[in-house]
Amino acid sequence: MELFFQQLTNGLTIGSIYALIALGYTMVYGVMKLINFAHGDLFTIGAYLGLTLLTALEITKQFGTFIGLITLAAMVCILVAVIGVLLEKIAYQPLRKAPRLSAVVSALGASIFLQNAVMLIYGARVRVYPQNILPSYTLNILELHIPIVRVLIFATSLLLMIVLYLFIQKTKTGVAIRAVSIDHIASKLMGINVNKIIMIVFIIGPALGGSAGLMVGLYYGQVNFIMGWSYGLKAFIAAILGGIGNIPGAMLGGLSLGIIEALGAAYFSIAWKDAIAFFVLIIILIFKPTGILGERVAEKI
Amino acid sequence: MRKFLFLLSILFLSICFLANPCFAKKTIKIGLMCPLTGAYASEGQDMQQIVELLADELNAKNGINGTKVEIVVADDGSDAKTSAMAAQKLITKDVIAVIGTYGSSNTEVTQNIYDESKIIQVATGSTAVRLTEKGLKYFFRTSPRDDSQGLVAFQTIQKSGAKRIAVLHDNSSYAKGLADETVEHLKHAGMNIVFNDALTPKENDYTVTLTKIKSQKPDLVFFTGYYGEAGLLLKQKKEMGWNVPFIGGDATNNLDLIKIAGKKAVQGFQCTSPLLPTDLTDEKAKMFMTNYKTKFKSDPSSIWSVLAGDAFKVIVKALEATNSTNSDVLADYLHNKLKDFPGLTGKISFNAKGDRIGDVYRVYKVDHGNFILQ
Repeated sequence: MELFFQQLTNGLTIGSIYALIALGYTMVYGVMKLINFAHGDLFTIGAYLGLTLLTALEITKQFGTFIGLITLAAMVCILVAVIGVLLEKIAYQPLRKAPRLSAVVSALGASIFLQNAVMLIYGARVRVYPQNILPSYTLNILELHIPIVRVLIFATSLLLMIVLYLFIQKTKTGVAIRAVSIDHIASKLMGINVNKIIMIVFIIGPALGGSAGLMVGLYYGQVNFIMGWSYGLKAFIAAILGGIGNIPGAMLGGLSLGIIEALGAAYFSIAWKDAIAFFVLIIILIFKPTGILGERVAEKI
Repeated sequence: MRKFLFLLSILFLSICFLANPCFAKKTIKIGLMCPLTGAYASEGQDMQQIVELLADELNAKNGINGTKVEIVVADDGSDAKTSAMAAQKLITKDVIAVIGTYGSSNTEVTQNIYDESKIIQVATGSTAVRLTEKGLKYFFRTSPRDDSQGLVAFQTIQKSGAKRIAVLHDNSSYAKGLADETVEHLKHAGMNIVFNDALTPKENDYTVTLTKIKSQKPDLVFFTGYYGEAGLLLKQKKEMGWNVPFIGGDATNNLDLIKIAGKKAVQGFQCTSPLLPTDLTDEKAKMFMTNYKTKFKSDPSSIWSVLAGDAFKVIVKALEATNSTNSDVLADYLHNKLKDFPGLTGKISFNAKGDRIGDVYRVYKVDHGNFILQ
């Protein structure tokens, strides 16, 4: 039983990162019906920018750990959001009226471009975050070893997701985003500036992805230029699992994927971990093709 | 108009002549196939720097019997598909011999391509046993084989006195091969293997894997995968407050391992490895490493790129000694006549299979953030 709970906490941490990244996929899909394959690379860029700011400006030394990290997170979010908006303007906006497959190809191209740009700028070697920024205290509850940082990662992700959910549900902009995701033309007729909404989506999604990248860098300590690929793929699956286009679905999908992976590895085989996760995904999609919380039938991409 | 066309055709013809290698200054072309992009890009970039530096030094000293050497680089992209394309590219560039590549699975897809074109291939980081068991005449490697490493790993494990052994690999041809070899030895010695499974490489969180291994209560964990995962495993193992000793294979002998895991978590970690670049004893090798450091501002991060330098050196030696570019002559020279050639990583001779002769594996232990030769 102890093993079960230990693996559950492991899975929750992994899942919360998936969920944060999945939000970016699901929001872009919601308003544009486009899988933004470059999203995983925005996550990588977040991790690398965090490293640069941390080492070059020594933010945590100047402002203390807590305020320093918040400043750092804010700066990373803003910079990644700027890159996200540029990405949309350059790679997706010119293709708004083109067949959907063209935009998908453009997204794949953007992903390869960003990945290699990171490699050329930062080099191919693994880069390492400075150590000892985060507290290394471990909570010991009933023989469970839970490093405090894992709790913090989980809490931060959850907080960001709740704030996003409230933003989408309660604010006027949120209503506009939901409207655009249902129908572009009708939203335009209602006086919604669709381009502006798409821009907002490309601010929020990349900012969340970038902050996930920063958290991964800070906690795991190791960043490399291809990390966006595996995280991006898992997050994409999480978004589908939860019902793509649906924000609580992405959160639920991410957390479930993390837990399925952890428990699959614990009780079957580690090497089969991904196979088990995909098997569960297929089973869920057979019985509920729209994903756990998906309502509308997803149109073909 | 006709005059214009006439002039144009003259121009066209002259460009053809200029572009034709027969009319250009003759060089000997040696291909370098290495991962410049993809997961192993850092290894490949070091390989390229080492080989090009060696080629520059050689060309400054009159080249091969007066002929300059030209290195033609092809990126294998760290994956099999791109490797096959890289091989095709090098063949069309008329290379005499090819250095590379790093990953065993990537080397494997190119072996027959080179063999059919009768091009000498000297692999540098590919340790999978079966590569030289195919009887390919033109294939050599400067790297050792997994079975010789498996034996050293087994001896190290035996010496530690551990009874319950966990073996972890990452399902790549190299890591699985080494794990299988070692497990074979362990079983033969009647040791208790409590865990034998693979993790998924290139993830960041291995707590799930570690928690599972921990539940089997091993005395020692042997990880045969790469340094990135090894670093994270060590770091997260420390966070869990678990003090089991770890031994790694020769893909963990990378200085980045210590950076990733942190000095405290990596303390006492052992790995089997050929000599590291910083432990090379030969005077010429030391001098070359100093030159490398002055030029590129850092040491090569692992021994595998240095083995690419050795591949270059044996090819050059064969070309020099035979004064021929015929692959059969070269292959014969490398198989039979090259004896104890002083390479960067020690003496090099090849056996009939194209494997390097001699015992190259050592055991390293990490102490205060440095790999110390045992």
